[in-house]
Amino acid sequence: MKIKILFILALTILLSNSISAQDILSKQRKAAIDSLALEKVRDLSKYISIIGSKKTPFSEANRVIERTLELFVEDAQMGVSSLYREEIKYYPVRKYLERLMALNYDKITIKWYDIQYISDLELQPDGRYVGVITIYQRFEGTTDDGMVYKDTTKKDITVYVEKKQTQISGRLIDFWDVLLGDIRVAETQR
Amino acid sequence: MKHILLFFIPLLFILPLQGQIVEDFIDDESDLYAATKQVNQFFRRFNGEEDTKGVRYYPGDRMFRNAGLRKAYLENLFNNENPFITPALKDSFIGHITDPRQPVYIEFHGGNWFAEVTTTFSFQGAERYLTLFLQLEKDTIGSKWVITNVFFEPFAKVFADQDSLRNTGQKFLHPMSHELDFMNLVRAFDKKESLEHYVAWKYHPDYLTLFIYEYKRGNLVFKTVSRVKFHFFQVDGWYFEISEFNRRGYNTGWLISNLMKISPEEKDILMKYIYHE
Repeated sequence: MKIKILFILALTILLSNSISAQDILSKQRKAAIDSLALEKVRDLSKYISIIGSKKTPFSEANRVIERTLELFVEDAQMGVSSLYREEIKYYPVRKYLERLMALNYDKITIKWYDIQYISDLELQPDGRYVGVITIYQRFEGTTDDGMVYKDTTKKDITVYVEKKQTQISGRLIDFWDVLLGDIRVAETQR
Repeated sequence: MKHILLFFIPLLFILPLQGQIVEDFIDDESDLYAATKQVNQFFRRFNGEEDTKGVRYYPGDRMFRNAGLRKAYLENLFNNENPFITPALKDSFIGHITDPRQPVYIEFHGGNWFAEVTTTFSFQGAERYLTLFLQLEKDTIGSKWVITNVFFEPFAKVFADQDSLRNTGQKFLHPMSHELDFMNLVRAFDKKESLEHYVAWKYHPDYLTLFIYEYKRGNLVFKTVSRVKFHFFQVDGWYFEISEFNRRGYNTGWLISNLMKISPEEKDILMKYIYHE
């Protein structure tokens, strides 16, 4: 995990040296930011699978919930709809994760499709860039009497990209920080 | 030429080959590739700005806005289940926007498109649908979506149509009312349903202001969002609407749900229709 953090920091700093000269995101810079954002989304996917797994002890699941929340901006929400209720139901991320942890299935399998779609990044009035990454997830829950619940959801994940500064050996270095925001979860017909 | 043709074989035929393995999960993802997953992707496909896996093309890339690529995408950007979008109408539209002499592209920041969002609010003890219209607005830096208009049936019911009122007989403050210190205003406020007799001709109620007022008074409480669609007037002589289709198959995601060839006069009428004016 430490190596991964160092790698991401190195990548963001490398990226920022060229970005600071020009705030318009070029093809190469956008690609580098996309890979950082995808890294966060993959972390989120991994954490959700751990939290949802019945094999994960309660204390460990709680610890992973805290780690998951570190991926998000404050006040991020999950907006959930199903095939039978098109209206969005809102959950704060923590509550969503706690509900996931408390699901009453004997066995839960959460799988992620390989496809992802990354939008353009748009500049918003506070100076941050915002984009959306779309991914698909398949959930399968089995009760102890063998009943199986399955669904496939589309998750549109907000990604905020912000230029920050850090001091390394007395030098101020710009880097790009990526945080996740609101997630729209919609059940698909699949 | 042959390989260009091969490249442009419609998405439908290319994609079933792309079944993916995710950890221990094997599945055919071709329908997910075919789906227009974001409005952003609708723009890119409409303009021919991404490859079949969704990787963006930039100006300078060989295939950026390639006419053949656009045509292949455009074929699958319509809701094929809408019988009003006839093959002839669709072909005419595609022909217009891919005209090699003057191709037409849509732009995210190009204006002339807006969102129609159906929401639910609690109002006077009941949950009611309320339609918000939003547009992109440039700020000092960046941009944002802002609410530009509102339609709410309980508001609309309060206001009488002036044309209809006139047909029931004329009521007015006569032109010498000023000499009487407008004492005859008492008649204007005699009956709630006839007040519009006394206001300026073709007065338009501003539902957005009313909405803000009622919301701030605590009479309107937001519940949720139900549906979203977008209206496009960026292509001269045409109107189209896009909506999200969540269903099985390859004709899914954000698609053109309505398409019309319109004159400038019809555009005004259509705008009024959309805004319920």
